[in-house]
Amino acid sequence: MIDIKKLNFNYGNKRRPLFRELDCQINAGSIVGLLGKNGAGKTTLLKLMIGLLFPDGGTVNVNNYEPGKRQPSFLEDMFFVSEEFYLPGISIANFIKANADFYPRFDGALLQRLLKDFELPETESLQKLSYGQKKKFLICFALSTKCRLLVLDEPTNGLDIPSKAIFRRILAGALDEDQLVIISTHQVKDVENLIDRIIMLDSGKFIMQKDLFDISAKLHFSTGSTAEGDDILYSEMVPGGYKVITPQVNGGSSVDIELLFNAILNGNEKLKSYVQ
Amino acid sequence: MSSNIFNSRRFLLLCRQHFVHNNKLLGFSAGAYVGVVFILLSFVQASEGLRPHDLDNFRGFLIGFVIVFGLLYVGYSFPAFRSKESTMNYLLVPASLAEKFVFELVTRIGLMLLALPLLFWITFNLQGYFFTLFTEFSFDPIGIQQLVAVEMPNGIDSVGWFSTMITGLALLLFVVPFTGAAIFSKQPLVKTLFSVAVIVIFYSTVIYLVAEPLGLNQYHPDPEEGMWLVPTSERAAFRFFALAVIIANAVMLFVAYRKLKEREV
Repeated sequence: MIDIKKLNFNYGNKRRPLFRELDCQINAGSIVGLLGKNGAGKTTLLKLMIGLLFPDGGTVNVNNYEPGKRQPSFLEDMFFVSEEFYLPGISIANFIKANADFYPRFDGALLQRLLKDFELPETESLQKLSYGQKKKFLICFALSTKCRLLVLDEPTNGLDIPSKAIFRRILAGALDEDQLVIISTHQVKDVENLIDRIIMLDSGKFIMQKDLFDISAKLHFSTGSTAEGDDILYSEMVPGGYKVITPQVNGGSSVDIELLFNAILNGNEKLKSYVQ
Repeated sequence: MSSNIFNSRRFLLLCRQHFVHNNKLLGFSAGAYVGVVFILLSFVQASEGLRPHDLDNFRGFLIGFVIVFGLLYVGYSFPAFRSKESTMNYLLVPASLAEKFVFELVTRIGLMLLALPLLFWITFNLQGYFFTLFTEFSFDPIGIQQLVAVEMPNGIDSVGWFSTMITGLALLLFVVPFTGAAIFSKQPLVKTLFSVAVIVIFYSTVIYLVAEPLGLNQYHPDPEEGMWLVPTSERAAFRFFALAVIIANAVMLFVAYRKLKEREV
């Protein structure tokens, strides 16, 4: 689905390269979380994947297309929901009328259902909606296109608490086997139970690319009253005790992505052998 | 599988998207244009003792209004480029580069060259009739054929090259701001006009320096042989400038196309 080889990229010649010799392969049928600190290059990487930016070196291949060529047959099978977006001052119904036919797999019935779930009125002008409502509409539209690649940049920013729960529910329920969703976010808690694979980006490099299933098979995440013990790989103080990561011995813990993220970014050497 | 170069269905979808997204803006813009034309025609008529406008007025105003309003409209081509967010939307619309470019060219220059004169003709006649309601003058309506009636200046022996040159120059007047709008994101018309002014001043200065202080104008080549590329007859001069203008249009359009293709956000 997505095949990145030896990707090099920098903004302007004078700055230091943002990406150097980046390699990555992502297959269809999963929801991938792209995580990283501010300025790590998450949005830039997404833009390179969808052809809004051109690589300085190496190749980016998506669905056997070179995204930078912006061919219609590539674009009609890909949808991007950016963190900051523009919507015209027309009604939802008119927006659908003007844009739905560009996407061959567009599912109008699904869109109606999603709009209902998010309580978005079709006759309302998009300009009159709040930022969160606009984002919800874009997410609904993106899912309804049934594009094989959906790229969501900070999709839960601006969503209220009930909407985040609805977002998780509809995302999990509206996808087909051949679709790939890439979610770039700071708010890992919002997508914790959604994603199948984690890609962590730091200083222009992937520091982790792993399926959640593999992580949970190797690492155990728990909360305890003490952070002492030979088997503790990483710990973090939280109100009422410690969050700890230990090697998995008997299975059965869900992955605490935030804790894992902090552990890896802190350069925990013990963890490296588990997640590499 | 449809073509990735040009597909008529996708082109029509692009047209529909544009008109659904911008129908209010287009309506208000047309209304504003008609209103301004009506008011200005009325002011001029009032200042001339309420005497109705004639064919000469019609031609003068037609050229003036189409140039001014046309520049304003064409100067803001590629409206999506004015913001980062709308640029992303535009570049990711599932249509080919050729479809997007041709669509912009047709709607910004082609449709403009049809709509502005037509709206002017309607407003001119409406305004003329309106004034007959409360003046003793009678108004002679201007026929729609006057929009395309062209009078050639006397004594031109190469009508074909001359009209090609004039048409090319008129097109270039709009193609330059069209290209400017593809290059500049913010304030494209102002920046285009400024750039053109700088280029014109630079070349005028260079030509002046070469011709006057360096004395090129003192050089008189053999009139029998002439100089390479320098026309020696009226016909040759029209042909030379017509070809130059055609090439200039083609180059400007190519630059606009490349700018669209290379756009990153």
